[in-house]
Amino acid sequence: MTEPLLVLDNITKNYGAVQALQGVSFSIAKGEVIALLGDNGAGKSTLVKIISGGLEASSGSMTFEGKEFRPKSPSQAKAAGIETVYQDLSLCTNVDVVANFFMGRELTKSMLGIKVLDEKRMEEQVAKAMANAGTRIPSLRSKVEHLSGGQRQAIELNRFVHWGGKLVLLDEPFAALGVEQTKRGLEMIRQVAAQGIGVVIITHIMQQAFQVADRMVVIRQGVVAGDVPRKQTNADAVIGMITGETLAGTGPGMGAGQ
Amino acid sequence: MSPRQRKVLEFVLDNLVWFMLLVVLAIFSATIPNYFQPGIFANVIEQSSVLGVMSIGLALVIIAGHMDLSVESVAALSAMATGILFASSGIGLGITLTPGWLVVPVSLVIGLAVGAVIGALNGYLVIKIKMNAFIVTLSSYIWVRGLVVASSGGRSAQNLAPDLRFLGIQRFLGIPLTAYIAILCFVGFSFMMAKTRFGRHLIMIGGNEAAAFRAGIKVDKVLMIAFVLSGAIAALAGWILAIRTSGATANLGTGLLFNAFAAVVIGGVSLKGGVGALPGVYAGVLLLSSINTAINLMGLPAHYTQVIHGLLVLAAVLLDTLKQTIRKRLA
Repeated sequence: MTEPLLVLDNITKNYGAVQALQGVSFSIAKGEVIALLGDNGAGKSTLVKIISGGLEASSGSMTFEGKEFRPKSPSQAKAAGIETVYQDLSLCTNVDVVANFFMGRELTKSMLGIKVLDEKRMEEQVAKAMANAGTRIPSLRSKVEHLSGGQRQAIELNRFVHWGGKLVLLDEPFAALGVEQTKRGLEMIRQVAAQGIGVVIITHIMQQAFQVADRMVVIRQGVVAGDVPRKQTNADAVIGMITGETLAGTGPGMGAGQ
Repeated sequence: MSPRQRKVLEFVLDNLVWFMLLVVLAIFSATIPNYFQPGIFANVIEQSSVLGVMSIGLALVIIAGHMDLSVESVAALSAMATGILFASSGIGLGITLTPGWLVVPVSLVIGLAVGAVIGALNGYLVIKIKMNAFIVTLSSYIWVRGLVVASSGGRSAQNLAPDLRFLGIQRFLGIPLTAYIAILCFVGFSFMMAKTRFGRHLIMIGGNEAAAFRAGIKVDKVLMIAFVLSGAIAALAGWILAIRTSGATANLGTGLLFNAFAAVVIGGVSLKGGVGALPGVYAGVLLLSSINTAINLMGLPAHYTQVIHGLLVLAAVLLDTLKQTIRKRLA
């Protein structure tokens, strides 16, 4: 966990006169899980969108794998190896599970020189991925609009685990999941990190953050208000950073968790 | 409900328009004298060619979650271009090429180019400038028709080159070649929608544009292609229309837009986007044209067709709502 995967340097984002981010800097190492915490409107989702190419930063720079990184679109970020699971579900409910799983990366085979969707191969891979994750969905050919919220979120989680990449961003990934599925989701995140993939998870639930993360990064009013290893802090201290009761960046509660 | 029953029910819901077509044809055959004969069915298919082709382009754009009101005028402009260049009477210039058959590809390419350019302009304004598709294409609907009237001076071109007319006259199995062009278009574009990445992306953009964008699909590019295709396909419809009528008049094809809309909606395409398939649209077109034929055979005044079409669209939307309710219960 020494080699930095992604480094953010003084990232800002303005929406007109409103400064959503006022200079955010932190870094993520390979195989590290970071919990990105902060109150509503602190700028977490904005930050995730900037890393994943959905928004462009107003100023500041990012370095991904040692190279200058400035994605102009999600497809660019994806090409670089950054996968994102968004807070509001990113599924097309009008097509089936398989189509969603392979959205934008459909497998094709050549038929008389024409590239045709290889439905059989895609379905096999989805079935395998779902089975590995222990997710059960009645039919992979049913349209997503017929599935429950939990099943939908499971598809999204399985999708990112399957595609992996180098860095995964999860924006409130467990909002619609039950207890058992959440537990499995957290295990999935540890598995993914064990493969050397960096993970950034946004969550409101302190308990989840402490279960899964190596490091807590707290955003408050558009700046990093705290960046501490999990082992050197506790929930109360982190809540203090979120609400602004403790001073920014001082790593409060040093030793408190040990 | 057992999974088997559910499958049957879903199949029926997915292909409802085909069942409707069969029922309507059965009723007409049983009740209207002389309806049940090959010539009538051939006529139904023949009548569907122009409307069918035009509906394909419209359906593509609607499935992608947008709108193209310009298809009718684009078809008229393409027909007028063909008429002015290759018809010999009226305002036709009567250009002849050697060998004579060359007129077929040349006129087709000119027509398609005209349609593609207008489609590209529509697409540019909607996608890049982010104007509302309804307004952009409504404006095209008006100015392109204006161009047709202006370029023809309100007059008509007649006597299209015989090599072009050949496609409208020559029959194979009782059906003119132009109708086969429409059928080929349906087969080809249905295949594109169901089996290729482009078709899949178009459907997903219609379902959830943000999700498709986040998944790395080049939404702008796909939509642009859809608008260009819609324009070019409308132009193809106009080219067939010119061949069928052996020329072009300034008001050629007026009212086709609403028939195309009716066919698309009856065919099961949702105006909200993301839902629908082209085979259903073809069934919708056939349904409209078999009803027209029935009205003709019964000797009803042709004015009633419009009343019936209007009611049919209403029925189709009602049916769609009903289908949704049943689907929700299934889920």
